[in-house]
Amino acid sequence: MELIHNLAFGFEHALTMQNLMFCAIGCVVGTLVGLLPGLGPLATISLLLPLTFSIPTTGALIMLAGIYYGAQYGDSVSAITMKIPHASSIVACIDGYQMTLNGKCGLALFTAGVSSFIGGTVAIVVLAGLAPALGQVALLFGPADYTALMLFGFVCVSFVTTGSLLDGLAMCMVGVLLGQIGTDVNSGMQRYTFNLPFLIDGIGLVSIALGCFGIAEITKNLDAHEERTPFQGKIHLMPTWPEFKRIIPSALRGSVVGSFLGILPGGGPSIAQFAAYAIDKKFSKHRDEIGKGAIEGVAGQAAADEAAARTSFIPLMSIGIPENAVMALMMGAFIIKGIQPGPNMIAGHPELFWGLVASMWVGNCFLLVLNVPLVRYWLSVFKIPYVVLFPTILFFCCVGTYSVNNSVEDVYITAAFGFMGYMFLRLGLEPAPLMLGFILGPMLEENFRRALLLSRGSFTTFVTRPISGTLLGLIALFVLWQFIVFMREQRKRQDAAAPAVQSPVPAGQD
Amino acid sequence: MNNRNLLKGIFLAAIGLAFGLGALRYPVGSLQRAGPGLFPLIVGSFLFLLAVAMIVRSRFTDRVPLQFNTKNIAIILGSLAGFAIFSELLNMIAGTIFLVFFSTLAGTKYSLVRNAIVTAVLIAIGLVFQKGLGLQLPLY
Repeated sequence: MELIHNLAFGFEHALTMQNLMFCAIGCVVGTLVGLLPGLGPLATISLLLPLTFSIPTTGALIMLAGIYYGAQYGDSVSAITMKIPHASSIVACIDGYQMTLNGKCGLALFTAGVSSFIGGTVAIVVLAGLAPALGQVALLFGPADYTALMLFGFVCVSFVTTGSLLDGLAMCMVGVLLGQIGTDVNSGMQRYTFNLPFLIDGIGLVSIALGCFGIAEITKNLDAHEERTPFQGKIHLMPTWPEFKRIIPSALRGSVVGSFLGILPGGGPSIAQFAAYAIDKKFSKHRDEIGKGAIEGVAGQAAADEAAARTSFIPLMSIGIPENAVMALMMGAFIIKGIQPGPNMIAGHPELFWGLVASMWVGNCFLLVLNVPLVRYWLSVFKIPYVVLFPTILFFCCVGTYSVNNSVEDVYITAAFGFMGYMFLRLGLEPAPLMLGFILGPMLEENFRRALLLSRGSFTTFVTRPISGTLLGLIALFVLWQFIVFMREQRKRQDAAAPAVQSPVPAGQD
Repeated sequence: MNNRNLLKGIFLAAIGLAFGLGALRYPVGSLQRAGPGLFPLIVGSFLFLLAVAMIVRSRFTDRVPLQFNTKNIAIILGSLAGFAIFSELLNMIAGTIFLVFFSTLAGTKYSLVRNAIVTAVLIAIGLVFQKGLGLQLPLY
């Protein structure tokens, strides 16, 4: 009963004229950047952060959240029609693109849209039910536990986004170190500022995000010289009743898997899709068709994708620790607005929390309309040539960074991070963990120092407290497992290399 | 030497060293009462260790050559810097014109007419931002 009451309260806030408008803007912009190459949700959210300074808090966060989950919708459209995923819809390429080749493009788009809607709806119920309860658990956390939880998050994100624990962890640490630049909160001392006045407040979040994700991505696309061929075929959207019936069970399965995986640290849309696809392959009634353009292959992963995108808000809003890079950026947005996400947020700002949850469902409806009946109009976006697109994106990057502090220095910093991001890209290093490290860095230091202060300088506090002890134990097990996997591969390689002259498969995991 | 796996280890080790050694310039304090230098020292050392592990690992894995296209990244960074310089010295319209006409050198086809249209649209968007959303852009 309380849940319904709370949701009703949320809808009161989400359905005001103003918030409806912000939600719609968020969904449209999100779909657009999902469709276009060169701007993922990460870069777009950071681009729009400066614009949100003058918008009321709830509206601003509703809009930013809309961009995030809207981009998931748009991304699957580009994956299905052209086999080009930008952010995360890698799985949609498999069966979705196959359906396009079979002339069932419209059906695939319809399936993806409806399944995403189902996934989003299920996830919102989970979010509304679970976040307040988890917030109670978070009150048990002390500084040592928070430190361990953040380290655990680093390990999970590193492994999930890069596939290599070593690379990802190193990038997290680079992020933490970059977060050290500026004034130390405890002593007031300036660290790594080289007496440059614009570094006293630290490096701007927007500069790092746009440099590493926006500029580097544009340059990568330019290097690749990819010419996209826009989709030209006819689109017949409406499914027959038997086809429609096939969507539902698969979408529900995907929603449950996605909701669950979205909550776990390091989880989120991409891993949820793969899991849902694998499960459909095992349990679906039409499992033989999967991989050859089956409805189930699209429905399950689309639902999981959308569900995970929403439940990944749970750790951020109830514990106060973002579980992936996009959520870290959302946390940045909360903090800019003067709100500390965490156990006290739901009680302290109920209109914000429930309004945001309710707006997700409103956004779901918007996106369903935008992406199913109107999808053919979106496809014309693909006709914009990249040589028009990238100067435009560059312009937005410049204006976005400039308006954070109204200073051109930030544009130089963005350019510097663009170079760094390009270096990382060419070296095969993923910048997403860096983002997480950068945003969590100051919090990690704060909790680490406080934990040591409380334990009078003894590290045993991290092991003896049950929560942090368990988390650190899990990390140790994980590292050990990774090491064993690496050693095994080495052994296999040596065995294989002995008879054959060249080893056919590279052993590196990245 | 042209091995991506080795180079990334060296690159990250350099970052770790720079921050770790830099931390020694600040009071480190004790574990119980940490100074501003303690945390960056720990994290910098940890990054250095990770990077050393990567260098060691690169000896066992296959070589991946590093591909680095200097032209495109140089053009993009140049256009950003040019935008900043023009905006500071002159105004943002000049900066935008420079940005569009210079950055498109990195594209496949170069067309003055198209660039002129893109510039005009972007300046119009800038005006909307300035007048409509209240951003303080020094457009003119």
